[in-house]
Amino acid sequence: MSDIHASWGEAFARFAGGLPAVDHAARSAAFDEFIQHGMPDDAIERWHYTDLSAFPKKPVQLATAAALGGYARWQLSGCDERIWLNARNVAGASSATASLPSLDAHAGIAGLHRAFAQPGLQLDVGPGTALARPVHALTVTTADADGEMTHLAHRISLARGAAATVILQNVGLPGATRFSTQSLTVELAEQAQLTLIRVQDESRSTTQWLQTDVNVGRDARFQLVNVDLGGKLIRNDWRVKLTGPGASTELAGLFAADARVHLDNQYEIDHIAPHGTSHQYFRGLGFGPSKAVLNGRVVVRPGAQKTDSEQRIANLMLAKGAEIDAKPELEIYADDVKCAHGASCGQLDDTAVFYLRTRGVPETQARALLTYSFINSVLERIAHAGLRTRIARQVTALLGADLDFDAIGDLS
Amino acid sequence: MTKLLEIENLHARIGDNEILKGLDLSVGAGEIHAIMGPNGAGKSTLSKVLAGAEDYVVTSGTIRYQGQDIAEQSAEQRAAHGIFMGFQYPVEIPGVSNMMFLKAAVNAQRKERGEPEMAANDFLAWVRHRVKQMKMDPAMLSRGVNQGFSGGEKKRNEILQMLVLEPKLMVLDETDSGLDIDALKIVSDGINAMRSPERATILVTHYQRLLDYVQPDFVHVLAAGRIVKSGGPELARELEEKGYGWLQAA
Repeated sequence: MSDIHASWGEAFARFAGGLPAVDHAARSAAFDEFIQHGMPDDAIERWHYTDLSAFPKKPVQLATAAALGGYARWQLSGCDERIWLNARNVAGASSATASLPSLDAHAGIAGLHRAFAQPGLQLDVGPGTALARPVHALTVTTADADGEMTHLAHRISLARGAAATVILQNVGLPGATRFSTQSLTVELAEQAQLTLIRVQDESRSTTQWLQTDVNVGRDARFQLVNVDLGGKLIRNDWRVKLTGPGASTELAGLFAADARVHLDNQYEIDHIAPHGTSHQYFRGLGFGPSKAVLNGRVVVRPGAQKTDSEQRIANLMLAKGAEIDAKPELEIYADDVKCAHGASCGQLDDTAVFYLRTRGVPETQARALLTYSFINSVLERIAHAGLRTRIARQVTALLGADLDFDAIGDLS
Repeated sequence: MTKLLEIENLHARIGDNEILKGLDLSVGAGEIHAIMGPNGAGKSTLSKVLAGAEDYVVTSGTIRYQGQDIAEQSAEQRAAHGIFMGFQYPVEIPGVSNMMFLKAAVNAQRKERGEPEMAANDFLAWVRHRVKQMKMDPAMLSRGVNQGFSGGEKKRNEILQMLVLEPKLMVLDETDSGLDIDALKIVSDGINAMRSPERATILVTHYQRLLDYVQPDFVHVLAAGRIVKSGGPELARELEEKGYGWLQAA
């Protein structure tokens, strides 16, 4: 077949050459799965809005782990820093080996990820332990040549009663086109509590797939804030299973789609056990010619009585050419449940813009302040002031404004 | 001497609907004018047109402020040069603290006027002084603008903004509506505190009530897009007794 097809084989042969024999067998099987099933196309329901069958258009190669400078600006105060440059761990403890993740995903792309996966964050927290500082897992990519790729597998496991906050930040330096896959597997035992803040700020030439699988045990809680700011073609799959009675989850998300980005977030919450609670809270911004997809699926299994589920999606269209497809999906097989959902799409309120302008605030700044107001309910869930301000600044800069967010801190 | 504000034969419409139909009004520095009138007369339109609302089109006539025609000035430019509009329905801006909002407003105005930004400490002290004057809880400064405020609190916040910004021409659109008697007193004190020989106030109101606390120098009746009668404070009391019907018929 094509150069592209050959390049996958070459990349894998080079990668597999350095693997221990035991890994080699599992990875070869995974690679075969990928070759057999290929990339997902839009005939698959879950991939209706994002068709990767024609991807990639150029030969691939594993990114070379060059030394990179300039990542210090993304480090966060008060955090336990773990850093990966082009999938190579350069700071913070990380095990060199990790078992291949098992993913509830399309066989082809899952096979691809398993075949090439390198160990990312491997976090185990023991029973009753609460981590004092957030763990900041920072991945940085660069690309000297088109088609460079990285594949990281992260795993978080919280034992009974453990608690942690993890900030997973994916950033990309400008450069050639690149491709990455990431998996994140989360196991939360009884009464464990995880807050995950994920910030995707990839380069404008990045195609990325992330799959997160979460198991939430009895009375455990999983809280997510996902922020998408960059990328070229971004696809995030979030699968949260409430497997123990009383398990709860809150999924909050914010995206800023501009500059021809294609951004597809697929959220799925599976209520398997009774007395589960799930809240979803999303805010989307359409800045320009772009397409954003938000699918929020909630399944309530027959045994999941007394489920309490709510989903709220609100989108703000800030420019012509922006497209946002928001789709709530509810599948309920239990009769004693409470499920609510709502979605809206609108523009900035002219009266509010006028109000600010009558106070002397120029229109550009007025629109930025109101946009900040719109996303604030998601931002305020980010329990790191520095990161919160940085995101606010970055989003409002897309509207051409430079706001004084420090004014908020004047009173503290 | 040049009047602070001079409106001549003002016609304005929104969409195809002409609201102001040849309005004349002249306001001198140091004066307080009350504009009263029935619903739909054009009172709110006048406020918005003065403040620079773009959804209203001025089809003829002029507005001169400090001797200059302001037709081409944006709302933010007018604000920077001292025109302030108090809203009948102040907007809620959740998540944007009052402090951030006030700072953005003050600094934007100073920038437009070519003045340096205020030092953070000076600004905070200044705002706190005004908050105290309005008998508000300083904790409100870290709350979102009008977020979860009652109708009365919102109006009080309008006057707070006015005190912080220190405009020259204050156009207060139904600021008295939705106020209980205590809040009306505080709001009135705020308006009176801004009374000075260089400033002027236009109180747009439906009722006489506010005028018991803020003495106007002139009272005008606005009906069907024009000022149909002008007089002193006694006109307000006359309107309170007789209503507006006798004027519209005239």
